[in-house]
Amino acid sequence: MSIEKSTKAARGSVQCENTNINLLKANDYVADIIRNEMAKTKTLLINITSSAGSGKTTLMQKTAEKLKDKLTMAVMVGDLETERDAERIRESGIQALQIVTGGICHLEAQMVHQVLPEYNLEDIDLLFIENVGNLVCPASFDLGEDYRVTLMATTEGDDKPKKYPRMFLTSDMMLVSKSDLLPYLPFSVDAVIKDAREVNHELEVLQISALKGEGIDAWCDWLLNKIKEKQA
Amino acid sequence: MHETSIVNSIIKTLELEFEEEKLDKMSAIYLKVGKLSNIEPRLLHNAYTAKYPCGTKFHSIKLHIESTEIQIQCEVCNHITSVINYRFLCEKCDRPSKNLIQGEEMLIHKVEFED
Repeated sequence: MSIEKSTKAARGSVQCENTNINLLKANDYVADIIRNEMAKTKTLLINITSSAGSGKTTLMQKTAEKLKDKLTMAVMVGDLETERDAERIRESGIQALQIVTGGICHLEAQMVHQVLPEYNLEDIDLLFIENVGNLVCPASFDLGEDYRVTLMATTEGDDKPKKYPRMFLTSDMMLVSKSDLLPYLPFSVDAVIKDAREVNHELEVLQISALKGEGIDAWCDWLLNKIKEKQA
Repeated sequence: MHETSIVNSIIKTLELEFEEEKLDKMSAIYLKVGKLSNIEPRLLHNAYTAKYPCGTKFHSIKLHIESTEIQIQCEVCNHITSVINYRFLCEKCDRPSKNLIQGEEMLIHKVEFED
């Protein structure tokens, strides 16, 4: 096989336009619409991210149990397939809707915006978006949230913040989850905090166990404070 | 999956920005992606070719991807540090900083049209 040499002479003119458009402009545009809606209804929107299996859904259940008498909370949960997580959360007595992404590894603002009319936002104080379990792409997609909270399970190993820096850089809070397993694991809480704060020195950290209850009061207090600020 | 979403976003964004007539004349797209953007240039090229194989509308557009290093500028001493090993510390005064001036961008920074 030979490579054909082009004999065509250059033709026409090349016009150049400097654009500097954000490649995710379409996403960020929708994220701003969501942010505006949430500002109107004074609903605190929290984007929960983490690896798969770090305890996001269990945390949602525990948070619902603790807070459902004090405020109205709802959840929207993203997964590639099945409605299992939404069903689990509904068992705690709160509204939960499932977004099935059909293979897409993150939630985009458009998907969130499409589901919003299903909620009566005027009455909701706290809305969680439980993102697809993945520390990579969800970091790039703004969903219009007030705060991004990342769970970092002790079972994952304490080296994750440096391996997935963008997620920790864009998060406001890191929850070191499954703390009840610490006695059995070679996991250093100090090491994970040190690495995470080298990436993001403003990152807040709490240590929790959704199963045994450690740190859940502190987590709920944090949420209540943020709701108060938003509704002020 | 991530890269295919990005390819879709690029085209969607350009369709919002330019009229169809102009898009038909587009010959090259220049992207600037930071090391923190989680975009791998080679995979993005593959995703683009998979989405627009020979014979499709945008196949002939050349995609150029420039990857940029992470840089922070210290809020206190203004010194610019290239971030190595994700340590966001000013190399001059040792203060932590999140003041990113480069490395996070995902930009379509130039497009070319041919008559």
